[in-house]
Amino acid sequence: MEELFRFLEEEQIDEGLLNGVRAFRKEYPTEKEAEVRVPKPEYFYYGKKTWELALAALLAGKNLLLAGPKATGKNVLSENLGALFGRPVWNVSFHINTDASYLVGTDTYDGNAVSFRPGPIWLCAAKGGFGILDEINMAKNEALAVLHAALDFRRSLDVPGYDRIDLRPDTRFIATMNYGYAGTRDLNEALTSRFAVLDMPVISEADLQKLIARRYPQINPKICEQLVRLYGELQRKAESAEISDSALDLRGLLDAVALMEQGLTSGDALTMCIVNKSFDAYERGLINDVIRARIPADLTREVVFRA
Amino acid sequence: MIKKQYSGNARRARNIIWNAAGRYDFDPPFMSFFPDGKPDYYMDMIVGLADKWLDLQKLWEFFASYETERRAEEFDSYLWLGLENCLYEKEVQERPQMEQLRRERAELFFRMQEGLSRQQMEYQSMPVYTQQEARWAAVLGKRGPVLSPRQKQMAEALRFSMALGTEGVLKVMSAFLAEFFHFVPEASSSSRRQANPLARLILKREHRRIDRLIVRTGTGEGDHPKAVQQRHEGLGRHTGPSAEDEAYIREVFGPSVVSAAELRILENELCVEEDEGCRLWIASGRSPEHSENKDALEVRLSAEEQKKRNEAFLREHAAEAAEAVKKLSTRLETVFSSYFRPLPEPSRRGRLRTESAYRLPVLNDPKVFLQDGEETEPEIAVDLLLDASQSRMNVQEILSNEAYILAKSLEKTHIPVRVLAFRSLRGYTVLEVLKPFASKDCGGIMSYFAGGWNRDALAIAAAGRLNDDPALPGRKRILLVLTDASPNDSTPLAGSGGLLPREYEGAAAVRAAEDTVRALRSEGLLVGAVFHGNSSHLENVSQIYGHAWVRIQKAAQLAQGVSDLLLMLMREVRSD
Repeated sequence: MEELFRFLEEEQIDEGLLNGVRAFRKEYPTEKEAEVRVPKPEYFYYGKKTWELALAALLAGKNLLLAGPKATGKNVLSENLGALFGRPVWNVSFHINTDASYLVGTDTYDGNAVSFRPGPIWLCAAKGGFGILDEINMAKNEALAVLHAALDFRRSLDVPGYDRIDLRPDTRFIATMNYGYAGTRDLNEALTSRFAVLDMPVISEADLQKLIARRYPQINPKICEQLVRLYGELQRKAESAEISDSALDLRGLLDAVALMEQGLTSGDALTMCIVNKSFDAYERGLINDVIRARIPADLTREVVFRA
Repeated sequence: MIKKQYSGNARRARNIIWNAAGRYDFDPPFMSFFPDGKPDYYMDMIVGLADKWLDLQKLWEFFASYETERRAEEFDSYLWLGLENCLYEKEVQERPQMEQLRRERAELFFRMQEGLSRQQMEYQSMPVYTQQEARWAAVLGKRGPVLSPRQKQMAEALRFSMALGTEGVLKVMSAFLAEFFHFVPEASSSSRRQANPLARLILKREHRRIDRLIVRTGTGEGDHPKAVQQRHEGLGRHTGPSAEDEAYIREVFGPSVVSAAELRILENELCVEEDEGCRLWIASGRSPEHSENKDALEVRLSAEEQKKRNEAFLREHAAEAAEAVKKLSTRLETVFSSYFRPLPEPSRRGRLRTESAYRLPVLNDPKVFLQDGEETEPEIAVDLLLDASQSRMNVQEILSNEAYILAKSLEKTHIPVRVLAFRSLRGYTVLEVLKPFASKDCGGIMSYFAGGWNRDALAIAAAGRLNDDPALPGRKRILLVLTDASPNDSTPLAGSGGLLPREYEGAAAVRAAEDTVRALRSEGLLVGAVFHGNSSHLENVSQIYGHAWVRIQKAAQLAQGVSDLLLMLMREVRSD
């Protein structure tokens, strides 16, 4: 955890906010049995301003809605926040059939009697966890009404047929949403008003370079720079609607570096992790043109990584 | 009915340029293509970099200042070679990959050189070619061509320095043209050109057949009447349709029945990929009254003679034809009986006809409703598409006779039928409407004559798209192609891979037709073929049309064969 604090200090995150987090951790120390649920992030989120906004909202006891296009680091940030605050995390992926019993809990038969099997939201409430509500706008708004009381000033969860429980003071919810995906919808006002909404910016070239270099310290900085610029060029192409954003994939770019580390050539790695994300042959041609202008196809591990 | 699309290669070239420029909000005034229509990747990057590092608008103004000159294309090629050096050196600092791309382009130049025929070499401007050869040889560290002292000076001058900005480059370009060609661009020539539409027209035509490094683009939209085609052609044996070709087509087949704008939009949709660069012409089937072109006149005279022969043949076989029509129409009635919809008739009950409702109070006419009557109307419309290529030369009378029998039988069964003949020549694929849906007269079919090539895929696709007839809505469409299943065209397959174009013939052409038929079927059109050709093409017809074809060798087989074929097609409708 100290590493994450160090990273945030390096990134010059407001000292007052970091002290606030330290105080929070002191007040709500991680329970032994919850430790397994505290995330251990592989990547750190880059973006000073976003960090500060998110920390301020959570320290003030608010729930966060991270909204933004693809590949803006919504999940990375939410995992990072869980880790920083030292809270166990329940990650709930929303889908079209998400309903109240899936979120709060359901009846089950334990061999002798019918009993309550708690759902992730109930567990968050009872154990002071961070609930990450991933792609919250994939679910129907009606299914989410059950969360209203938990998310607003009442901070309570009423389970029909069972007791009403109050949320522990260290419980927080962080929702993510992506606009424009097929199948997504707008959140209704009732739900949106219960979140502080953070509009996630697209990662800057400098931050992306730092991100790759931190994860792969051995990477040749010149190649790293070309990869970052490649990502920027793909981004511009997607913004101007010449390609869909299926190939605009930060995960894909990082995966490609991982595959190069495993010994694939740059061409094969980028094809697998970026080009082939598009299923349209013509679009793949356009994406290939962009890659070709930046990265030779035959770079080997020895060239990409320093010994 | 029609949507606009950019052709694949032009859009790709634009994307390469935009990517290199780092912005997407402009229409590049230059694009570069290989002879096969594919984008010239490296040179397109250079065009994009010209926007990134220099003021492309000012460059364009400079290029425009001499565009009416006879040697404009040559100047373009030289100057872009100079710009290549400057922009390469600027960009390579931050894009190390440029080095490899430049080398690949140089290697490609020499590979292409090996593939050029003597005739193609003759098309090249040799002084430009020598400079290009010298440049690319230097890039590869090879020994270049032997240069004369003047050529050496030229090569040296064309190595524009990376230190130059826009003004510097313009100065160097002017100096180059002045020194080696004694040419001084006039600032006013651009405005003069705009004032003279004829000069502009000639200018555009000049650009169509250039075979050099960089192509100037037209309006960028491709649907402007005088827009430059965004293709680089001229090395193949066919140089793409020109204004002269269009005039010829107009002389022979008469004006297009589809407006120029609609035609252009249709072309934007259909003349893509392998048919890129082809043009379409939809003619009425009636020859124009007078013609000045000698060639066109000859064609029209022989078409007239053929018409007389067709009519004579029909007269001779009148009894057989009448018998065939009778047999076929009886069979068709059976086949289509379940696809007839009852015609509505006025009634005392049913659906209210609001426009006649006043009759009830005013005239005491209670029949202001509509209900299904006893008369019926088929929910089907049929297109007969006749192959009118040269290979049908020996069977023209038979084919016109059969088409006549088919059309007459369908008319007798009250099924709307349209008869189209298709052929390709001079890069145009022409559809002639021998009998429109609206007319009941089948006499126009006698104007059928054979001549030209057959680009089946494009013709079938175009026939499928001609769906704007008021007779059509709500009807299931059937397209019957009378074919020899041997597509063949003088315009090569565009974008077919490789550096030089592939012929439109054999397996590739059959596959193109197969793809088109599949696409039309997926849109709900029923496509079948009446095969009329050589046994060696039987495999082709199966490949293109699947099971939906029938072979006819004489008119007597027509009734049985065609009704079987239609029955087969209609079963598909039932199983939908």
